[in-house]
Amino acid sequence: MAAVIQQRPRARPAHPAGPTFLTYTPNGKQLVTAGSNNVVRVYATGSDGEPTNLDDCQENNTAIAATNDFFLTGSEDGTVCMYSLDTYTYEKMLTRCTLPIRDIALSPDGQWAAVASDELTVKIVNIEDTFKVLYLRDLPKPAKHLSFDPSGSYIAASCADGIIYVYKVSTEEPELVRKVDGLIRSLDVESESSSRAVWHPDGRAFAAPTATRDIQVVSTGDGERQRAFSGGHMGDVTALAWSPNGALLITAASDRKILLWDVKTQKILARYDYPSVINMAWHPTQNIVSFVTSDGELYIYENFLQPDTSALLQKPMQPSPYIRDPLAETSGNATKVLTNGFKDTSNPREKRRGTPDSLDDILGPELEDEDDFVSDDDGAGYLDDVNGFGKRSNDHLEPIDGFDGKRRATVQAWQPRLHQSFQPGSTPWRGNRKYLCLNLTGFVWTVDQDTHHTVTVEFYDHEYHRDFHFTDPYLYDKACLNENGTLFSCPPANSNPAMVFYRPHETWTTRADWRTQLPAGEDVTSISLSDSYIVVTTSTNYVRIFTLYGTPFRVYRQKSSPTVTCASWRDYILTMGNGPAGGDGSTKLLYTIENVKRDEVCQSEDIVALTEGAQVKSVFFSDNGDPCVYDSTGVLLILQHWRSPGQARWVPVLDTKQLERLASGRKEETYWPVAVAQEKFHCIILKGGDQYPYFPKPLLSEFDFKIPCSNSTALKDAEDSSVLEGPKLEELFVRSSLMLSLLEDLVSSTNATHSQRTELSRREVEVNKSLLQLLNVECREGEERGMKALEIVGLMRDPSGKMVEAAGKVAGRYGRTVLQEKIGELAEKRLLGVEDEDL
Amino acid sequence: MALPLPPGLTPAETAFLCEMEMVTVIPRQRLEGLELLGGPIPPLNPPYRTPLPLWLALLLKRQRRANILPPPWLSPPSLHSILDFEKSTPSFSPPPPLPPYATTSPPFLPSATANAPPDALPYHWLELGEMLLEAANDDIPEPDNVRRLMRDLREVRMAKMRAGVGVLEGGREVNMNGVGGMEVAEGRAFIGGVVDGLRKIGASKELSRREREAEERENGIGGGEEDEDDMDI
Repeated sequence: MAAVIQQRPRARPAHPAGPTFLTYTPNGKQLVTAGSNNVVRVYATGSDGEPTNLDDCQENNTAIAATNDFFLTGSEDGTVCMYSLDTYTYEKMLTRCTLPIRDIALSPDGQWAAVASDELTVKIVNIEDTFKVLYLRDLPKPAKHLSFDPSGSYIAASCADGIIYVYKVSTEEPELVRKVDGLIRSLDVESESSSRAVWHPDGRAFAAPTATRDIQVVSTGDGERQRAFSGGHMGDVTALAWSPNGALLITAASDRKILLWDVKTQKILARYDYPSVINMAWHPTQNIVSFVTSDGELYIYENFLQPDTSALLQKPMQPSPYIRDPLAETSGNATKVLTNGFKDTSNPREKRRGTPDSLDDILGPELEDEDDFVSDDDGAGYLDDVNGFGKRSNDHLEPIDGFDGKRRATVQAWQPRLHQSFQPGSTPWRGNRKYLCLNLTGFVWTVDQDTHHTVTVEFYDHEYHRDFHFTDPYLYDKACLNENGTLFSCPPANSNPAMVFYRPHETWTTRADWRTQLPAGEDVTSISLSDSYIVVTTSTNYVRIFTLYGTPFRVYRQKSSPTVTCASWRDYILTMGNGPAGGDGSTKLLYTIENVKRDEVCQSEDIVALTEGAQVKSVFFSDNGDPCVYDSTGVLLILQHWRSPGQARWVPVLDTKQLERLASGRKEETYWPVAVAQEKFHCIILKGGDQYPYFPKPLLSEFDFKIPCSNSTALKDAEDSSVLEGPKLEELFVRSSLMLSLLEDLVSSTNATHSQRTELSRREVEVNKSLLQLLNVECREGEERGMKALEIVGLMRDPSGKMVEAAGKVAGRYGRTVLQEKIGELAEKRLLGVEDEDL
Repeated sequence: MALPLPPGLTPAETAFLCEMEMVTVIPRQRLEGLELLGGPIPPLNPPYRTPLPLWLALLLKRQRRANILPPPWLSPPSLHSILDFEKSTPSFSPPPPLPPYATTSPPFLPSATANAPPDALPYHWLELGEMLLEAANDDIPEPDNVRRLMRDLREVRMAKMRAGVGVLEGGREVNMNGVGGMEVAEGRAFIGGVVDGLRKIGASKELSRREREAEERENGIGGGEEDEDDMDI
């Protein structure tokens, strides 16, 4: 409990009693206040003398905003006036509304002023050209507060209906990107209580007072509730402000208190007794907080922070208080590329010199300008996340306050980019939740409850399995789920080593679940569960194979390291690791497939065929046991002939970028791979730039395979149906041949069941059928296509000769007699077995 | 007449026919394949999507054994665009395109499965939508919005149908492409009545005209007799 501070600043009678507003200019030289009389006062920072007064302004001011050169006041008569700070004179009327102004927000570059009035639209007026106006129109009630985010690309409008509307204003037309419901109270526009959403200076989150008198932080990217500053105020919050570096928060409420919070711990650092404070502002650089009361008094509180806490204000930009900071942890599923000299971005530094806690100051001052790589030198570099290709977008290059703008060269030696390890089917933390595993059996998700997690396992088949739920003190972060059981693993924590936990769904003994602790210092990088084995790859590059009931079966070191991920199906396991560096500066991803039971290696350290810069998003076995990979370019690849060493090749079976649903160009969506089953790609459709699925549980979608053979969008325009038909059939032929060969491999390597054999002959017929249809098209096209038609007949796999015979009939029906004769010759040759086998 | 019902199908009968439509279902539990008279039912295996006839899907849905995947056209954006089209043009929005080489008609077309075209109302749109909204309320995104749009669409289209009747008087025809089964059943009594009324009014005129024509023919002038009885609706 912090002591109540003495040494009160004096109250300066600035305005008569009534709503009073204040703002600092961004350079901190002046403080402007406006109130219910027709005078605006400008106080120079540092001088204790009389302020400069601007007389004959509008009365009953309701809002104020300032840049270094001018300030705007809004008044109840609906006018927004602009005054120069150089000459202290009235300049122009910026805009006028029919109803009283409620708030004004200036964009960080000072080019645009957003004006909220009792009208239902919010105007965003250009300062230079007041005829350039953008409108925010979706508000059902007047907006009470407006605030621009530090980059000026978003604006949050706290509406009187109790919803915060977040608009993207970087585009031509403001676009409503998010509605945050249930956060603020629905307040009357004239109420002294505040529902203002105040952006944290790092721009990743904003804070707003809730109905329970707490301050809730909400992340911008996904609208999730993050940390809250709770239990402080006994009255409605009237004002709040982040310190310029985001390390401190001050709030004032109608309980006559001003509270100072530490952002990192959400604890109260100090309490100050000031009644009826209605607006507050931090000085942009100095240890000064100014606030006004509803009596019209202004307090300029110099040395607001006591010496013990003032160090916090000297700190560089502090991150907003996330529950799970995506930057503070390398998430398990991140497809992030290691850049050269990659540093932990969780502790971004705005300015390196003079920071009280910077280790780099002590370690290497001579490298001051060089060692800080591009990752965070702009002081707000954590604004943007790593994009789908694992690279940073260049959005963070925009200048933001406190950005010195200087790019720094790196002196560090070149290092290859590594593929990060990931757990297939899991998502990173978002808010306090994440999916540990998502597949066709069900899904496992966990909720962070600070001291423990709660894990829930749900199944799609509600009859066959029962959903279960448990509290998890070990903080499991990876899971696998199949028909037989669930496998969990947790990272090493405190003194406990990493652990693997298997829980079968069904048991005929009293206790069947088991836990195994890995040797100390070993962390789990990925786990996988098949019908017969459990595979664990670790940070020490070991592949540990357990049987289903916990007997260690095999341990070996993976040849390619560091390990990336693993997958398994029955007795086959697939492990992936980083191989040698390739030409594009990133390591080649290598995979190994082996049969554990027979102790046979099917493919050894073969390359996962990826295009340059692409990453593997997920790896899994299809329901027929063929390894599949979904990469960051949106292509699903399946491994053909993988049972015979050296024969394997990756075949693209679906390019999600060429899906017909995207052909219109209107939809923007990505696909999160789940599984390949029944010759379909099962995935989750993600819209609105989402990277990972989130709650509530999204619906699975399925897409048929479509091997990218020809340009499908060009076919759309073709009027003639037969033009359209040919390429379709060609694709069908390639696809059915692939499916046939996959099944052939499966049947030849296992004890094929009867149904598999009938399936095989059905597939064979399918291939021939597609060829016959293709022949049909060619014959219809005309006599001159005979050469191609004959070639198609040559492609038929047809030991009985019936198909070729049928092909002859097709040719005959279209009256292509020459072709028919040639087909007859071919059939004869085949019958005699004199056809050239290989060219 | 032994049957007291008016000619044509009652709404209940139309709805019954509609239950033959195939819809896509996400089963929540396993079910062996069924060999039914109407055709084999594929085995259900969660979470694989399976096409099922609507009656079975509704049955499973009521027993909470399956979730119905609403057809793409039963979503607010699709209904919105269709509604806009209906409002902007005097004709009905076109039915979904027939698949190539299709010889079947509704309810044997896959027009209500998850792969159905999103921009066209199939033949059984009204009854299917109502049934899904009633039974599978929780599977449809924004059900209230969908219900409102369905209502709007229905009113716009009924208004068009009534407006079309006004044209009939002149002996012209009304294009009713794209009109749904329930709408036909609903409009049949009214339109039939109007046409019948028109016929009765025109009958005396017709009679006198025929007489005059017969007279003229007898007088040797002659003229091709046209039968204008069947008005195309």
